[in-house]
Order: sequence, then C-alpha cells, then structure tokens
Amino acid sequence: MNLTMRGRCWKFGDNVGIDGDMMPLEFALKRETNPAVLGPYLMTGIDPDFPKKVKPGDIIVGGKRFAQGNPHIQGLIGISAHGLGLVVESIQRGSYRNAINAGVPFLPNCQGVSAQVETGDEIEVNFATGVLINHTRGTQFQYQPLAASQLEIITAGGWRAQLEARVTAMRVNDLRPSPP
Amino acid sequence: MGQTIAEKIFSRAGGRPVKEGDIIYPEPDLVTTHDWYVVNFDKVLQELGIERLHAPHKLLISTDHEPVATSPLAAQRQRQVREIVRKYGIEHFYDVGRGGHGHVFPMEKGFVRPGMLVIAYDIHVTNYGALGCMGIPVVTEISEVLACGNVWLKVPHTVRINLVGQLGPGITIRDVAQKMISLIDVDAADYAAFEIGGPGLASVDFSGRQVLCNTPIEIGAKTAFIEPDQQTLDYLQTRTSEPIELIKSDPDARFHTVIEIDLGLVEPQVAVPPTPDKVVGVSQLVGKKIDHAFLGSCAAPGISDLAMAARILKGKKIHESVRFFVTPSTFEVMSEATVLGYIQILVDAGASITAPGCGVCAGGKIGTMADGEVSINTGTRNDFGRLGAMNSEIYLASAATVAASALVGAITDPRPYLID
Repeated sequence: MNLTMRGRCWKFGDNVGIDGDMMPLEFALKRETNPAVLGPYLMTGIDPDFPKKVKPGDIIVGGKRFAQGNPHIQGLIGISAHGLGLVVESIQRGSYRNAINAGVPFLPNCQGVSAQVETGDEIEVNFATGVLINHTRGTQFQYQPLAASQLEIITAGGWRAQLEARVTAMRVNDLRPSPP
Repeated sequence: MGQTIAEKIFSRAGGRPVKEGDIIYPEPDLVTTHDWYVVNFDKVLQELGIERLHAPHKLLISTDHEPVATSPLAAQRQRQVREIVRKYGIEHFYDVGRGGHGHVFPMEKGFVRPGMLVIAYDIHVTNYGALGCMGIPVVTEISEVLACGNVWLKVPHTVRINLVGQLGPGITIRDVAQKMISLIDVDAADYAAFEIGGPGLASVDFSGRQVLCNTPIEIGAKTAFIEPDQQTLDYLQTRTSEPIELIKSDPDARFHTVIEIDLGLVEPQVAVPPTPDKVVGVSQLVGKKIDHAFLGSCAAPGISDLAMAARILKGKKIHESVRFFVTPSTFEVMSEATVLGYIQILVDAGASITAPGCGVCAGGKIGTMADGEVSINTGTRNDFGRLGAMNSEIYLASAATVAASALVGAITDPRPYLID
C-alpha cells in the first residue's frame, strides 16, 4: 500500500460517534465485518450521500475525540472499504486500535488541523512522515506519524492479514514453541 | 528522566528501556480470558493453523460469565471450552465451581503480584491493579497473544491520583471511585495508566483498591493500579512464595496529570443511565422506586461489600416489590461470608444468592430485567439494555446504597442505617 494519499478533504467536527454517526449500530450488533456491506453506510448518520460522493484517496478530517463511544470496528472498516485516509485531532483508544486493525492509514494526533482545511480542499497526506499538504491553500503541516510497526500492520491490510503473515514468518523461521 | 510505574513494567516486559508513547511488543507474565471468548479464540487459531499455544502455562481461563448455564446452547459452549482446554493443555483452568470471578480469584490464589504485566480479554482485568499489577485489556487481538506471545501496545501516559482525607460515616470507596471518574477530563484519561497512591491509600482495603482500579476503564483508561505498599505485602504473604518488589515511580518521573481525590465526600454517589461517569449525589434520587437490585461484579468484589449489606439488612426484610440478587465474587469470599454469618443474614432478608462469578452484571443472563423496570446495583456499567430490556434503567451505587434501597423499595441514602 502506498502511504501517501492525495484527494478531496471531507471535514467533520468534534465528537463524531462510532455508532450512529459513522455506521448504523445494527451492524455492530450483528458483528458484520464485510467491507462490501459496510461501505455503503459509511458516515450516513451525518451525511446520507457520503458513500456516493467519496473516491479512493480522499481523506476524512476529524476533530477531537473522533470515533468516540463503544469501540466497534465497523465504522473503521467502512473507511477502509472506500480506500480513504483519516486525519484527526484526537481519537479514542479503542478506535485507535480498530483503525490500525481495519488497515486505515491515519494520523492520530493533529492538533488544530480542523482550522487548516475545509471540505473540498485538495489535500495530500504522507502517513509515513506525517506531512499534510493543502494544495488548495498552498500550506503544509507536520504531524506525528504512527510507529513503523503500526504502519506495517496497515500496509499488510489490517490486523488479520498481518497476523497471518506473522504466523507464516514464525513457521518459516521455526520460531514455534517446541512440543512439551 | 525517571520512569513511571507503567514505564518500568513495560521496560521489563519489553526487554528495553521505554517511555510514554513508545510502541512495543511486551511479553506478558500472565494472559487471561473468560468462558465467553474461548470458542472464539480457538476458531481464529484453527483458521491460522495454530495447534500449540505460544505459552499455555501462562494462560488462565475462568468460567465466570455464565457459570450456571442458562440454556442448552450455553451448556454446549461449556463443553466446547473444556475440550479446547484439553486440546491446548491449559493447566490453569477454573471451571464452574472452582475460582469464581476471573478478575478477582487469581489474586487470592497468588497468580498476581506487583509489577507484573497481564494481558486479558475483558476490560476489567484492571482489578489486578489492587496489587500493583498492570492489567491491560485487548479484544480480538488476544488470539495473536496466544499464537505469537505478544501484541503491540503503546506505553501509556500516567494520570497520578493522590488520595487524601478519610471516608465519612456511611460513605464507601465505591462512592469515591464513581465521583473520581466523573471529575477527570476524558481526554486526559484516554489511553492513560491511572497510578493511585497518596496518604489516603493506606486506609483503603483490598476490595476498595479493586474498585478504584476498576472504574477508570469506563472513561477510556488503558489500565489502573495502586502504588503497592505494606498492605500489599501483608495480603500476599500467605498467597505466594515468589519475591515481591514494591514498585514505585521515580521521583522525577513525568506524570501527564496529577489529581488529588478527597476521600471525605459529602454524600453517597449514584451513576444514572446510561454511563458510569454520569454521577449525582444520592439525595437527588432518593425515593425513586426500584424493582431490581444486585450486589456483585468485579466492581463490588470483596468481603467488605457483603459486610456492609449484612449490616444494613440484619434482622430485616427487603421490600416486597424488590428482587435482590447477591453474587459473592469468588468461592473464597463466599466461604468467608458464610463463616462470618453474612450469607445467613442476606438469605433471611430475602436475597437470592447466586453462584460466584460475574453474576447479573455479565449481560443479564441471570436476573434479567423487563420493560420499564428500574435497578440499582453495584455492576460495572449501566448502558441501556445491558441487563435485559432496552428501556429498563440501571443506577450504579455502593453495596450500602444498594442494600438500603432494596430494603426500602426505592433509592435510599444508606447513612442512617450505618451510623450508630
């Protein structure tokens, strides 16, 4: 996966909720994890047309406490279903893990970013270096990126894909525990 | 720069000096899961082709969420759990009728010591913080820990709580713990380690220490533990022969936030639906009729909670319109409560005593609530629908407030029943 994305900015404010705002709660209760099912409902609690408007490479910009609430993964899977990036001022602990597990490239700690972009701006984010360029306004910002080991999980396609690769590597290197 | 307790534990378990914010793969000293996730992790391991656990001797499994199977499906799951335990050769398996609540009995049995790192499937593993141990919950990634031995964790920042003052008459640590999480900024709490110490800690008993470590999880903390002290040594003296180190943060360690919490609250505190940090003084709710009451869960884990209820209910009968369930957390607690006569008092008062474990709090499999009913209980959470009907209401309070409310049939300030 390329860790640089360039596309349109979709700005949401503070306190975007996991359940309801990002994804209808019913999918969490059903433990639905199929991206093809979840994608058409992404962010429809705030903007019913959102799934039809976004394109791969577009970037969601969230404010403080993005993806707050009971940490269900479905909303984050919805983001990866569309091939979007994510930039937030802050993100709750459970959703931080879920974003990595769902394979969403994101910057978790971009204080003040909401004031620097607007919906429709063309922005470019390098998730490996933390550099955000707003091409519409001609501005550039540096934020703290995720750790290399976390980016590896995202690049692998999320937790499950990375775990399969890790188990395979353990076998190849014969690192499995010997029988008792 | 010095290190916090969290940084010290992660440095040891990660094999190198670490600081707040670092991402590491630390090796846990103990891994725990409960009866409702064993079949799930086994499914993932089977899909991965894993036949042996990385460290089966480090895994502890408790049948605590549904020890008294309430359906053929639940009985079938229990059988699957036993088969999975045999398949992987898991030695520390505490099935129905053995340990009790998995966030409590491993401390009684010497599995938990200061400075340890425990990774668990289930958020309230932070109860182990009562002995200065760092319990960290993960969810689906427990399968990775079981297969590979670890999973990535971020070294948390520390919110240092300094307890001062002393409890007033009829006020309990549960009241303080609920007040505490209502006072702390959620942004500071998110992904934090709560380190609890200060001059007031010495007066807090083992049960109270568990409660203080249990509640911060509800506002997003990653873990919570007390700064271990003489009481920790006294508790562990007869329970383990392993060496014990009273781990402390260095004097120049960096805390994100330092908060003083006064044990001397004005009045008992009640959490109103739907979150445990929506807390008000009991006086604002006095008289609200209840149908259901429950004393138990990892948020009321100790003998002192049962003692409080027994003191209020001795020689009395609970209100005729209330059903009152009492779940001693562990077999050790139940045995002690029997010897001390508390169980007799509660039974005589009309309480239903259930098998040790999570009791009603584990999703209301037993003692479920109907449409429009109101419960006051000592459980961990009060989301709508947690104990049954979506439009039932759950108020969270101390064992004292729950017992007094069961007696009166409405939410009640317990202090008149406790002050001699």
